[in-house]
Amino acid sequence: MGGFSTDLYLMALLILLFGVFAGSLGAMLGLGGGVLMIIFLLLALNLPAHQAVALSLIAVIASSSMAGSVYIKDKMTNLRLAMVLEAFTVTGAVAGAYLAIGMPVWVIQALLGCVLFYTSITMFRERKVDPDGSETAPREGAGGRGSVLDGSFYDEQSSATVSYGVKNLKLGSVTSFIAGAVSGMVGIGGGVIKVPVMNLVMKIPIKAAAATSNFMVGVTAAASAVIYFESGLVDLKLAAPTITGIMIGAYIGTRLLAKSRSAVVRKVLAVVLSFFGAVLILKAGGILAW
Amino acid sequence: MVTVEELISWVLRIGVLSGVAITALGFFLSADLAWAGVLILILTPFMRVLMAGAYFLARKEYPFFFLAAYVIMMLVIGSFLRIS
Repeated sequence: MGGFSTDLYLMALLILLFGVFAGSLGAMLGLGGGVLMIIFLLLALNLPAHQAVALSLIAVIASSSMAGSVYIKDKMTNLRLAMVLEAFTVTGAVAGAYLAIGMPVWVIQALLGCVLFYTSITMFRERKVDPDGSETAPREGAGGRGSVLDGSFYDEQSSATVSYGVKNLKLGSVTSFIAGAVSGMVGIGGGVIKVPVMNLVMKIPIKAAAATSNFMVGVTAAASAVIYFESGLVDLKLAAPTITGIMIGAYIGTRLLAKSRSAVVRKVLAVVLSFFGAVLILKAGGILAW
Repeated sequence: MVTVEELISWVLRIGVLSGVAITALGFFLSADLAWAGVLILILTPFMRVLMAGAYFLARKEYPFFFLAAYVIMMLVIGSFLRIS
């Protein structure tokens, strides 16, 4: 392995600091941190694409597991629904990671660019759906049609038990497969795809959707990460600052989550993400040499 | 009495903390140690699936048990899909 170089220490320090930032902001906005991490590794540090994806995936595992240990205690995770959708997601993740490793870099850049645009759009839209959390107010009769996938949880904000039914399971399953494949290819958790679909299409309250997605994101990232890991694409030196930073950040962000009102941060980040989305697509097309 | 949720919560926390700590030690000591740390981290979410599977088995909810088993099987398949 040889000795340490100053470059390695500097890079490790940068990753550590950015990880804390990405982890806390991600947990506050429900982004998981993967989206921010991959941009940083790819565009700021100029890491080779597959290495960046691999590091981002293990960052996603660390942040989602950290956040998950908090969520699950609140019993908002719909474990049965998670199992059904995870079967589709995990299949997509393994297929996506397997294909991505053999793919040319520009395909990964272009795909990530599209994902960033998509994320940016959902970030603008989400406030309309959930302006002040009132959307999670109890909807008696909304659920409880007797399906095994129905869920309920105690909502602290409205001091009531929210019960709900699951709609459009087929579309949700297809989306889960796609989310898994995208996750394995570009190194994000896929929560940005799953949460809006679960909320808007499957009609699951946003808090339950976020918690259930969190469960799935960790498993999805792990399934693709293991392929990158076994293929020797996880940089074992840079892994340490990546996961340490993001874990600390996720811990901070999860603590702040309950009381954050982040409309402005969300909009700013949406703009930032579209900017990098454009950069990546121009880069993929060979128009821009970042 | 420890609930299933609390147990899963602790497993996640211990998995992440030990994975991160061992990888961080590996940064200074050896690549093998870092390798083991990353592996622990990657396996952590699967511990959650494993526990969910056991929970469904105990409750005789076999369809969900098989889904959990399938998810774990995909991880095993993934670990054989190394690309050089």
